[in-house]
Amino acid sequence: MGGWNIIMIGFGASIFIALSYISIPKGPNQTTIRTSLILTIICCYLMWAIAYLAQLHPLITPKSVGGIHHEELKF
Amino acid sequence: MPYSSLFRSEEMSLIQLYIPQETAQPTVAELGELGLIQFRDLNPDVNAFQRAFVKEIRRFDEMERHLRFFDAQLTKSDIPVRPLTGDIRNIHARSAQEIDDLEEKIIEHERRITQMNDSYETLQKQYLKLTEMKFVLQETRVFFDEATSRQDNIRNSFDEPTAPLLEQQDLEHGSESLVLHHLNLGFVTGVISRAKMQTFERILWRALRGNLYLKYVEIDEPITDPETDEVLEKNVFIIFAHGKELINKITKISESLGATLYPVDSDPNVRDNNSTEITSQIEARNSVLQNTYNVRRTELLKIAEDLNIWMTIIKKEKAIYHTMNLFNYDSGRKCLIAEGWCPSNDFDKINQALRNATDQSGSTVPSILNELRTTKEPPTFIRVNKFTVGFQEIVDAYGVAKYREVNPGLFTIITFPFLFAVMFGDFGHGMLVTAAALYLVIREKKFEKGISDEIFATFFSGRYIILLMGLFSIYTGLIYNDCFSLPLRFFPSGFQWHGNQTDAQQIGVYPIGIDPAWHGSDNFLIFTNSYKMKMSIILGVIQMSFGIVLTVYNYTYFKKRLSIWAEFIPQMLFMQCIFGYLVFTIILKWSINWNERDNNGELVHSAPPGLLNMLIYMFLQPGVVAEEDKLYPGQGFVQGTLLFIALICVPWMLLTKPFIMRRDHKKIRSQGYHNPQMDTTRVSTDEDNEYGGAVVAEEMFEVEEFDFGEIMIHQCIHTIEFCLGCISNTASYLRLWALSLAHAQLSSVLWDMTLKPTLGMSGVLGTIAFIIAFTLWFSLTVFILLLMEGLSAFLHALRLHWVEFNNKFYEGTGRKFQPFSFKLILKDDDH
Repeated sequence: MGGWNIIMIGFGASIFIALSYISIPKGPNQTTIRTSLILTIICCYLMWAIAYLAQLHPLITPKSVGGIHHEELKF
Repeated sequence: MPYSSLFRSEEMSLIQLYIPQETAQPTVAELGELGLIQFRDLNPDVNAFQRAFVKEIRRFDEMERHLRFFDAQLTKSDIPVRPLTGDIRNIHARSAQEIDDLEEKIIEHERRITQMNDSYETLQKQYLKLTEMKFVLQETRVFFDEATSRQDNIRNSFDEPTAPLLEQQDLEHGSESLVLHHLNLGFVTGVISRAKMQTFERILWRALRGNLYLKYVEIDEPITDPETDEVLEKNVFIIFAHGKELINKITKISESLGATLYPVDSDPNVRDNNSTEITSQIEARNSVLQNTYNVRRTELLKIAEDLNIWMTIIKKEKAIYHTMNLFNYDSGRKCLIAEGWCPSNDFDKINQALRNATDQSGSTVPSILNELRTTKEPPTFIRVNKFTVGFQEIVDAYGVAKYREVNPGLFTIITFPFLFAVMFGDFGHGMLVTAAALYLVIREKKFEKGISDEIFATFFSGRYIILLMGLFSIYTGLIYNDCFSLPLRFFPSGFQWHGNQTDAQQIGVYPIGIDPAWHGSDNFLIFTNSYKMKMSIILGVIQMSFGIVLTVYNYTYFKKRLSIWAEFIPQMLFMQCIFGYLVFTIILKWSINWNERDNNGELVHSAPPGLLNMLIYMFLQPGVVAEEDKLYPGQGFVQGTLLFIALICVPWMLLTKPFIMRRDHKKIRSQGYHNPQMDTTRVSTDEDNEYGGAVVAEEMFEVEEFDFGEIMIHQCIHTIEFCLGCISNTASYLRLWALSLAHAQLSSVLWDMTLKPTLGMSGVLGTIAFIIAFTLWFSLTVFILLLMEGLSAFLHALRLHWVEFNNKFYEGTGRKFQPFSFKLILKDDDH
């Protein structure tokens, strides 16, 4: 729980980045695949981390009047 | 040889080819199939008409004209041309003899086709005349019958035994201005197009002051004009008038209005004879016409078989001679000299092609390839595949990369769809976009063969961009927790309502994305507003900093050591001291638990400060932060220092580079070096050229004179642009915030206005309402949310890349590599 998650996942993401740097075989598209993978990992991590961090210590919490909620899709 | 990559454009070399004259044509053909050399024009002063191979080009132009004539004939007769099958590499002329044969064949075909067209046309004209005549006879019979019966009535009532006299009278008079019995009337018969009938009538009426009797009948079947192929509706008319002069007048007016006159005999027997004669003639013509038509069609079918092959051969030949016109001719050694750019990685392929050409033509003298040293700026060649081409085109639309400059296309592959998705984020919409793109990708083999619709072709060419945009939208939709504006509940919510409380209590953090508890809450917008705004700033600052880092790769590659510490370092410091610090405070504010209480139940922190005010007061009151607004201890000192560093960076960027350049220049001058002469030319043929043949000259790059004033002005503009740009560009990233809020709100409003009210209904009425609402909702989702919103998010993502990201490091002043390639030439001609 808490901020450590962001750091742990960040650590995990960097492992993936390192892996994708090493593991792409040599070839005409090596640079393209490698860069795309690394950028994808970074973008997705940032997106997740920002959303997580924004809710870690929310200044406001959801307010609902009379308990009426928006309908929700359940899975 | 290292692999080329998208990171920088390919290394290019200027090469020189010596091609023996007798193998020139096959060699150039082989190079055209290879498509790896962009030839330079070695005779820029010679105009197009004075070049060496103008005669050959004219000849092929003429042949191409014949082929286009065939093509037009084929389209006219609705015969499809057989499409090319197999590799276009295999379609080429093997020898000069083959070309001659082809020319002969084409000319022969053309002669026959024209001949048949001519006779067909004459026949058709005759046929037209005959059919019109037939109609005139048919229709006028009615008039005459009417007229005679009336006569008969008159006559019967008048005097019976005059009958033989009447017949005599008829025989006496000629066909045209026949006198109908004792009424002295002449008549004119003919055919005119129906559209002109009214005008015709009116003109006649006016010209003859009403002294005429005009009757007309519409011909039921439309008549085709053989000359223009127009289908016209026509009328048969007959005009009775009094006197020869009037008849002449009518004839003239009719002819001037485009009517065709057909003389008709007034004697019914002669008319009947004419009629049968014409019918038999029509039949005869018809069979001849059919015959000619069939022969012509067989001829055209034969042409349709080979037309595309001939076209390809001729286009290739023409391109070969056009290219050979760029070469220089060395009359002494009987060889052609060519110069051009090619990728340095592909020397082997070019050498192989040259050898192939020599072997195939059975020559013993090989072509020779030389690499030239040059100071000219080579063209930019970036090897793309079907996946990367779309992204590279986004970059090229802004500007083609300078030779070997860092190419933003490589990063655009991911950052472009990602920024799009930040604005477009919705799980459901992302799914739909992905499905559409997947369909295009899976069926690409089928679609590649030809798309006629331009809009669809645009979507098709961007299918991989759309696919990635869709995939990223699914991910960002998951983070925003929006699926058609509804939340997805994969995990237990981090908020809980106790009893009748309006405010929820936090019991945890939702692991992925925004907590579904926010959806439908009263302060949902307040939360997403702040979250998305801060997210845009963070993403923007990271992307721009990345852009600044990329300048280092350019500076090291082009050996501009000075620029690294006179431009890159101050730029980076400036950026990070102001906006990097802003990002830092955003993250810091998020990580502090503002509701934390100590043992006595007192809040540990004071009220959370506004970050925008903090940034403004960082400039207004440097070094001072009010106690209640503090995020962390020592904030005033840190902010003061950062601001000081940022201010120092401005003169650092502005002055260091120009002054150091001036010092270096002076040093060189004082050592006695001067600029080389301005108009040096390079002679690239070897010195032992005794025949004085080819002299390939090339102007050297002009050496720029050192002008301190100019450099200073340039640097000044650059600095101001960067500093102001940092501020305005960061603000510009707020479009991510605005667009994503707008998208979420729009889809939520659409849901609430259409589908939501019908969900509660029951019964038959409810089902019908649901079906109608669903159709409305779905079509609006596709047209407004996917297409229009998608287009707007696309354009904003485009702008963020072109302006905010590219202007940090990308010059984009290069020119594109345009190799001599049959594939490209044939493709261009198709469109």
